[in-house]
Amino acid sequence: MSTTETKTYWRSLNELAKNEEYQRFVDREFPEGASEFNDGYSRRNFLQIMGASIALAGLAACRKPVQKILPLTRQPEYTVEGKPVLYASAMPFLGSLTGIVVETNSGRPTKIEGNELHPGSLGGTHIHQQAAILDLYDPDRARGITQGGEARTADDFAVFAGQYFTADKRVAVLSASDSSITLNRLKADFKRKFARATWVTYDAFGEENALLGTQMAFGRKLRAVPELAEARVIVSLDDDFMSSGADSVRRVKAYSAGRRVMATTDTMNRLYVVESNYSLTGTNAEHRIRVKTSEIPLFTFALAAELGVAGFAGYSNSWSGHAELKTLAADLAAHRGASVVTVGDEQPAAVHAAAAGINAVLGNAGRTVRYVELPHAEAGDQHAAFTQLKADLSAGGYDALVILGANPAHTAPGFAEVLGKVPTVVHLSTHEDETTKALPAGGWHVPMAHFLESWGDGTSFTGVRSVVQPMIQPLFGGWSAIEVLGTIVGGAKATGYDLVRATWTGGDWRRILHDGFLEGTAFASASTSFSGGAVRTTADAYVPVAGLELSVRRSPHLLDGSVANNGWLQELPDAITKITWDNVLLVSPTTARALFGLEYPRSQTVRPPDSEEPVARITVGEESLNLPIWVVAGHADDALTVYAGYGRTHSGRIGNGTGVDTYPLRNGLAVSATVRLTEHTYPVASTQDHHSMEGRPLIREATLATYAVNPRFAADMVKVPGPKVDGAPISLFNEQVFPAGEPQWGMTIDLTSCIGCGVCTIACQAENNIPVVGKKEVKRGREMHWIRVDRYFSGDLNGSPQVVHQPIPCMNCELAPCEQVCPVAATTHSDDGLNQMTYNRCIGTRYCANNCPFKVRRFNFFNYPKLWLEEVNTPEVVQMAMNPDVSVRFRGVMEKCTYCVQRISRAKIEAKRTTDSKKPADGAVKTACQQACPSDAIYFGDISQSDSRITQVKTNDRNYLLLEELNIRPRTSYLAKLRNPNEATA
Amino acid sequence: MSQSTTYVPEPALVKGNHTFGSITALIADISEKPAPTWWYIAFGAANLLLGLLLVLIGYLVYEGTGIWGITNPVGWGWAIINFVWWVGIGHAGTLISAILFLFRQGWRTAINRFAEAMTIFAVICALVFPGIHIGRIWVAYWMFPIPNSMQMWPNFNSPLLWDVFAVSTYFTVSLLFWFVGLVPDFATLRDRVKSKLAAKIYGVLALGWTGGNRQWQNYEKSYMILAGLATPLVLSVHTIVSFDFAVSIIPGWHTTIFPPYFVAGAIFSGFAMVMTLMLIARKLYGLKDIMTDDHVEKMNLIILVTGNMVGFAYIMEFFIAWYSGVTYEKAAFINRAMGPYAWAYWTMFLCNVISPQFFWSKKMRRNIKVSFILSIVVNIGMWFERFVITVTSLAQDFLPSSWGYYSPTWVDIGTYIGTFGLFFTFFLLFLRFMPMVAIAEIKMVMPQADPHHYDEKHG
Repeated sequence: MSTTETKTYWRSLNELAKNEEYQRFVDREFPEGASEFNDGYSRRNFLQIMGASIALAGLAACRKPVQKILPLTRQPEYTVEGKPVLYASAMPFLGSLTGIVVETNSGRPTKIEGNELHPGSLGGTHIHQQAAILDLYDPDRARGITQGGEARTADDFAVFAGQYFTADKRVAVLSASDSSITLNRLKADFKRKFARATWVTYDAFGEENALLGTQMAFGRKLRAVPELAEARVIVSLDDDFMSSGADSVRRVKAYSAGRRVMATTDTMNRLYVVESNYSLTGTNAEHRIRVKTSEIPLFTFALAAELGVAGFAGYSNSWSGHAELKTLAADLAAHRGASVVTVGDEQPAAVHAAAAGINAVLGNAGRTVRYVELPHAEAGDQHAAFTQLKADLSAGGYDALVILGANPAHTAPGFAEVLGKVPTVVHLSTHEDETTKALPAGGWHVPMAHFLESWGDGTSFTGVRSVVQPMIQPLFGGWSAIEVLGTIVGGAKATGYDLVRATWTGGDWRRILHDGFLEGTAFASASTSFSGGAVRTTADAYVPVAGLELSVRRSPHLLDGSVANNGWLQELPDAITKITWDNVLLVSPTTARALFGLEYPRSQTVRPPDSEEPVARITVGEESLNLPIWVVAGHADDALTVYAGYGRTHSGRIGNGTGVDTYPLRNGLAVSATVRLTEHTYPVASTQDHHSMEGRPLIREATLATYAVNPRFAADMVKVPGPKVDGAPISLFNEQVFPAGEPQWGMTIDLTSCIGCGVCTIACQAENNIPVVGKKEVKRGREMHWIRVDRYFSGDLNGSPQVVHQPIPCMNCELAPCEQVCPVAATTHSDDGLNQMTYNRCIGTRYCANNCPFKVRRFNFFNYPKLWLEEVNTPEVVQMAMNPDVSVRFRGVMEKCTYCVQRISRAKIEAKRTTDSKKPADGAVKTACQQACPSDAIYFGDISQSDSRITQVKTNDRNYLLLEELNIRPRTSYLAKLRNPNEATA
Repeated sequence: MSQSTTYVPEPALVKGNHTFGSITALIADISEKPAPTWWYIAFGAANLLLGLLLVLIGYLVYEGTGIWGITNPVGWGWAIINFVWWVGIGHAGTLISAILFLFRQGWRTAINRFAEAMTIFAVICALVFPGIHIGRIWVAYWMFPIPNSMQMWPNFNSPLLWDVFAVSTYFTVSLLFWFVGLVPDFATLRDRVKSKLAAKIYGVLALGWTGGNRQWQNYEKSYMILAGLATPLVLSVHTIVSFDFAVSIIPGWHTTIFPPYFVAGAIFSGFAMVMTLMLIARKLYGLKDIMTDDHVEKMNLIILVTGNMVGFAYIMEFFIAWYSGVTYEKAAFINRAMGPYAWAYWTMFLCNVISPQFFWSKKMRRNIKVSFILSIVVNIGMWFERFVITVTSLAQDFLPSSWGYYSPTWVDIGTYIGTFGLFFTFFLLFLRFMPMVAIAEIKMVMPQADPHHYDEKHG
């Protein structure tokens, strides 16, 4: 067993050593010649010999994918060791596919970036794309096929599938929504082969309501695709489109492009958000209207009536005539054809239909929102189909159930009991999860391959077709969904490559692989005509939750729980609460006071490491559970929100037991609930306790109108005292001399663009091998993130406060206070203006961290990498995720952001080699955070070149330095935040 | 000639009409006679605590500094607090022996040996911390300017490096000063002890002292020179320790008042520690004739003066924070008094500023119980002063987003308690085997040393 396990992944040097020549090379200690003192052998020969040995070893021992995959670089025939190779691919996520570029080092994928050519990515990424690399190397993933818990081979399964799945069998398939074209093709074959078969698309949080909404409005399931770049007024009705979703990167790119201000004459779009819980999108709103989740339909219907949507004549409810609603309606009416109303997927179908009506009456349809045909959408109400399937399975209506990628035993309480009644179940999932544990005797479990190790295809949210190409052989013998379905339909083991090739008969295959997508593809636009009758009927009958409501929402980080075993996502602080590793009961200050007698803001400014939060008992119908209470300013009153996806029992070592499983409380979007305060307390690890900026000029903010009058408002907020030489304050210390031939690196972060999503944090973690430290250490304040996103509230904490975000990396100060105090000179300045950290020299006095005014330095209090990498039975697997260009830091060493010095060095070497100048071309170096950012908020480059982008940005009138008055001369500056509020509400 | 002034005779520095011989016997007998039972009990307890310290240091080396409560943003916790506290205590000894010697304060002779020993041991306790608080203990030597193949020197801009020099110099000079003072007394013990081995050891330590005229002349000269060398060190060492904080840019640390304020605080705590130990020792060894109530009163006066200096600094810090107009500085001090660590701040204020005010009353100054209790209260207060400075400033600095709260772990507490084991192990050994009062020097200030009694009537 163990030997087959170690063989399933490849490319540890141990394996290479099986090659005889390499073995001899190792045994010799010195290569041929080197120990003979023969003048004919130089150092170059040494390298040649070593290179040849490894190349031969690779041929003999490596298990590279046998099918052709093509890199983006121009020279696929050479693989230079130490030089990463980039491949274009695509990542399936929440039923769509987005283009990515994968960096591989020695055949191991180590980093995911956006694909600049792909229309759904444009180079940006979201947190789940960045974190997907860690899922690949998750040592807790299922290994090998099992039947009833017994290990089986792939051939066993193929034989079983061929014999069992005869055409007369009654087969049900439960599949997570999947845009795969091949899967869709196989689905048709499947339905042809099995006359008595059912296919149900099941997502715990899917877009089914949105599709049913367009069905209600237009008579058939269509997908609404907002084009935010064209919209001047954007209204989000409970639509958190900035948190990572199937289309979030494209939307954020468009949204931020529509509000990029570089001169006083530039304009900005305006965002209204109507929601209950404070979402990431809500924090970016100009105007955020707090409405209980179950009242958002009422708000929408009232808005539809206000704007004269067909079918809403004479309609009114409690929100009709509301001041904020009227202002919003007026603003929409003033931007006909240049506004858009979007609705969150989980809102009922009628809300989507009403929004379609609003977009229609405003003339937005076809301009700022397109309706497209969705070829892979299953016809009919899939919620009803799932309920029916459960009933049929219980009644013995099926011989077999095939579950592709879903985990219904966790996300649909009660499904586990149903599973036991099905004679044969085949379950495909990445982990041996709750559903696997609930399989009936003899049930098959097939490990699901990660998308980086399997062939696949699909379409983006807007319909751009891509092929998913594997970067590595499956580490744990995983199968893809198409392989399982192909085997069941075809009766013999199907390989992903053949299945995908069979689908992609036309087009330039090499070109598609190279670019990562097929150019010019998109879903067909549908011609629509809105009919309001059905919506009106639903609207008239709609009753919101009376009194206290509870809403169980998809976790912005763990989604429906499927990525609960990802340490990066668990440890990424929530955008608003900054909580890691737990879900909590979110409640507004007023409601917390009324329900629990809790005061907010608390008398304590910060929570001690041993502090614990009060715990509430929530009861919905028969179900009750305990959750710690967390007061969040800006939440709607009389409403409670909890995130699902936590409290997994079979996700792996990281996800098991973190948080509480809230699915049992879920019964629709919002339900009536009762709560009471218990005597229990529970520790919650939040990385930022303090809500207020204390009146300090840290994030400088103004309205667009103020900016037009006073463009230098940000720089003028602080006056630097004292005598100055050449405009700069004098320093006690010798000032660094920066040589003319060197580039000078600088960064600027545009706070107007930054949405606070935290993708920079995860991108940095992936790039720089930053360890995960766990809840206990985060609770002590020892999180290791090199770039963090600070969050501050402003305004009335009991009303509708606003939230601002500020990413804080190391500022690489020219007169760095950390450098002055290090007794051993372990942190020093480089000629190109970097504040360097020499790990080998660091003895760990922590004086530098103390003296850093931004507190961006991170200390290895324990041997975190060792704890993280080696406390699993197969450490080599996690180690494969490491970036070979960045050293893994030992215990007792300080670390911090260095503007991705490894990327800078690579570019400098390249520039020196090709142009003989140390200055790389503008844009040649991108830091990991900058590259990942979907809103292009981070600028980075050489400030010694007057025509570089960064130099231009730094001369912008909104540019300001944080804590400039300390005379530390940060190289990172900020562009002040602008909002574009509606004058009518002011 | 009419007598317009009346001569107020100085109270005798040694009471009880002792002879030179009885003084020698009184002190030397402690080392020569078997140790009392309490000594064994105390020594055993001290050894247990020392063992605790060593175990916890071993645990620290094995696991890393994460076992302490330190965190982001509070990178320095109890280790640095304890370091500054012990170094502060280590001030009294050299001050008493060097500065009071130069000022010809005869009363110092009763306590100088004692105080110097305390200094040495306190500095040893202090030196434990800079070595172990770093992340990679095994390369601590990189802080010293040792020539090496990497041509890598320490960073001479760093106050931590200055600390290394300041504290090690202070330790070396204090040790020398102490030893030179001990030479005549070692000779006394060498001549008195019965055990041959002991005589040999004391003989080696006495460096062949015979008490000749020439030897005394050289001795006094060298003692004077060392006193002169030690005097600036008394002021410099805590000045430089204060630079660890003052040179940084953190509000609450970045303060020019720190050097004098730290030195005053150090003398304050050092005298309090000498007082605590002296009151115990004179009770247990019956040395009330040498360490008289007059001594207690004089020391209490110094505690009162330095306590008020420290109190002045506390208040002046607030004034400057307000007067400077710096937002961050103001916030830091408001936070100290009213923020999450207000309990620590007011404990400090009560112990260091309010409690010494009792000593305005002569009755209180001469009350042994009050003196004993207050001497302990002062050292609790001085520990909290270092806690307040180190922790509150770091916990809440410029960006409210990174504000945190520090609390120690059991290892922090155990390590601190363990240093008392180290201190008392040394101190009890000192009491047992060395003359705890400078026999030779005390004789010089006895009434018997001055047959004329300096009485004017005798001309």
